[in-house]
Amino acid sequence: MSEAATLTKTVELRILRYLPASDESPSFRSFQVPYSDDMSVLQALQTIKDTLDATLSFRWSCRMAVCGSCGMMINGEPRLACNTFLRNLPPGPVTVEALKNFPIERDLVVSVGDFVKKIESIYPYIIPKEPKTVAQGTYLQTPAQLAAYESFSDCINCMLCYAACPQFGENPDFIGPGAMALLQRYNGDSRDGGQQKRLDAIAGEDGVWSCTAVGICSEVCPKHVDPANAINQNKTNSAFDFFLHYLRKDAAQ
Amino acid sequence: MSERRPYTRPIDEDWWKKPPYLSYTARELSGIAVTIYGGVLFTGLFSLWRGPESYNAFLRFLQSPLSLLLNLLLLAVVVYHVVTWFQTLPKTMPKMIVDGKQVPAAKITQIATLAAGGSSLLLILLTMWVAR
Repeated sequence: MSEAATLTKTVELRILRYLPASDESPSFRSFQVPYSDDMSVLQALQTIKDTLDATLSFRWSCRMAVCGSCGMMINGEPRLACNTFLRNLPPGPVTVEALKNFPIERDLVVSVGDFVKKIESIYPYIIPKEPKTVAQGTYLQTPAQLAAYESFSDCINCMLCYAACPQFGENPDFIGPGAMALLQRYNGDSRDGGQQKRLDAIAGEDGVWSCTAVGICSEVCPKHVDPANAINQNKTNSAFDFFLHYLRKDAAQ
Repeated sequence: MSERRPYTRPIDEDWWKKPPYLSYTARELSGIAVTIYGGVLFTGLFSLWRGPESYNAFLRFLQSPLSLLLNLLLLAVVVYHVVTWFQTLPKTMPKMIVDGKQVPAAKITQIATLAAGGSSLLLILLTMWVAR
């Protein structure tokens, strides 16, 4: 096929638009974009912004599924726009909406403030079991100890799991899959001693117990982090903690 | 001046009726069949406690076409529950690390399903041997 023939083929993008200054509520608008075989949804959005409507807003950065900025609903599924290719979508218009379960700031941009607060609330850093000085050397870890938490450290904070989680939709205060994956990344680390602090942060209805093991969070994860596993492991931990905390010497009264 | 006015979309109340959530709903609903199965078993125990007459009536009920149909239906739903339960199992347990590598979820599901199937078969054979 000649290049001219390729470029005449177009694809329709139905985009949920919302401009807070002028729109009462979001509504769909369609754009026709020249189609090429190697085009991602992100590239299609960039084409719209460059050539059709400069007011269209969306987040993006790396274009290679590493930064986690371009999460959005594509044909109703939470996906990264950069690694969703038009050629893999069914023929017909492509529906693009802001990530579900989050307030829309503008067009495809959602509020991330609550998510960042949740991440901060679970002590997202190693709290050493026994603090060492530099002179005492490094903290060593076996491959098996690394494997115990490694997948959870692959999270890119794209929030697709939150958009897939109906329980987060019902209860926006639920800590949610992503933050729990990060929690398990540290709780599962052999060098870490902060498990109790983190367990105290996630006990209760807004902690792990809003999860009903729907499991779609793990299916939509572009990095195969398996956040559903992180949450459900900590349901067990939280239940043990509930029954055992009276026996601990440092039990909070 | 800030033009910020975040828009919160209404919650989709029917999420549980739609794919991909429908399989979750079916899995959870199939748990009811497990409860009914338990109910049948406890009814049997209860009638055994009440005496031979009551127990024989229970056995007659079990042999009735209605009960056979019900049990066939329950069996199908419980098998579905077992299969989907073990598909969920790898998501609910700590990661299994063997020789420094994570055991794949599919492997855990396979082993657990085989173990459940095997022990069910063993139970049936044992019951048949006791009742011979």
